[in-house]
Amino acid sequence: MTDIIDTVAMTLSSTLLLAGIVVLGVVEILDGVPYGAAPTTNDAGEVIAQPGVDPAIRTGLVLAGLAVLGLWGLYRLAVPATGAERRTAADTTAG
Amino acid sequence: MAYDASNPLAGEFELGRVSSVAPVWIALLRAVVGWWFFHAGVTKLIESGLQFSSGPAYLRGMGDTVLGPLAVWMGTAIPGVIEAVVPLAETLIGLALMLGVLVRLAAFGGAVFMAFFWVGNAAFGHGVVNGDLMGLLLFVTLMVLGAGRYYGLDGVVERLALVENHPRLGYLLG
Repeated sequence: MTDIIDTVAMTLSSTLLLAGIVVLGVVEILDGVPYGAAPTTNDAGEVIAQPGVDPAIRTGLVLAGLAVLGLWGLYRLAVPATGAERRTAADTTAG
Repeated sequence: MAYDASNPLAGEFELGRVSSVAPVWIALLRAVVGWWFFHAGVTKLIESGLQFSSGPAYLRGMGDTVLGPLAVWMGTAIPGVIEAVVPLAETLIGLALMLGVLVRLAAFGGAVFMAFFWVGNAAFGHGVVNGDLMGLLLFVTLMVLGAGRYYGLDGVVERLALVENHPRLGYLLG
């Protein structure tokens, strides 16, 4: 059970983070100018092109990913991993 | 040792293979990040005391960001608390990181600060991956690594009887 929760938390957190930064970053580039998350302005300061993806969506996804990680940390505070679970996790990841 | 043979990317994560300089580097990183926040906090305390009025104003200006509702509420409903907490918390977070004590708790506080800075400074002229996000990720990294155990007081604190008798406290330490 604990392994499943750990796996789900890590997977969800990583997915949200990478979606906000990398996946939507690629979408933004493919969408054309501006290639960043800020609008393009002309010399007069007028906005002539908006980013393809609202930065609020991207920042929201990243913060949600970090929040998942934080919630998992709180879960671990409430239900500490047993020695056996720690050893299993170490064996699994140590190769 | 066992590993997931079905996934060629999911093996050989033995952190013991990293260079012996890693603990020193983690401690240095922790100290530098600590100084960053300590400097930001203590200079506010010197200049404004516990009346850092820019704090609530900054939060009230975050209305159209993803943290807008929370930030605007904090800036409007509890401005006095924000004015005092911002310089005080920055200073204490910095001190805790430099000393390496209660590092996970302190780094969590730093990450919350940086989340507001990252989202609030939302011009993103050079993309969403900017210095503020790097700062936020530095704090998360210090939490994940338990950085207080490397040449920090958390290594001593976690051997106290209080912590050994209450293992959950270890999650707040480095």
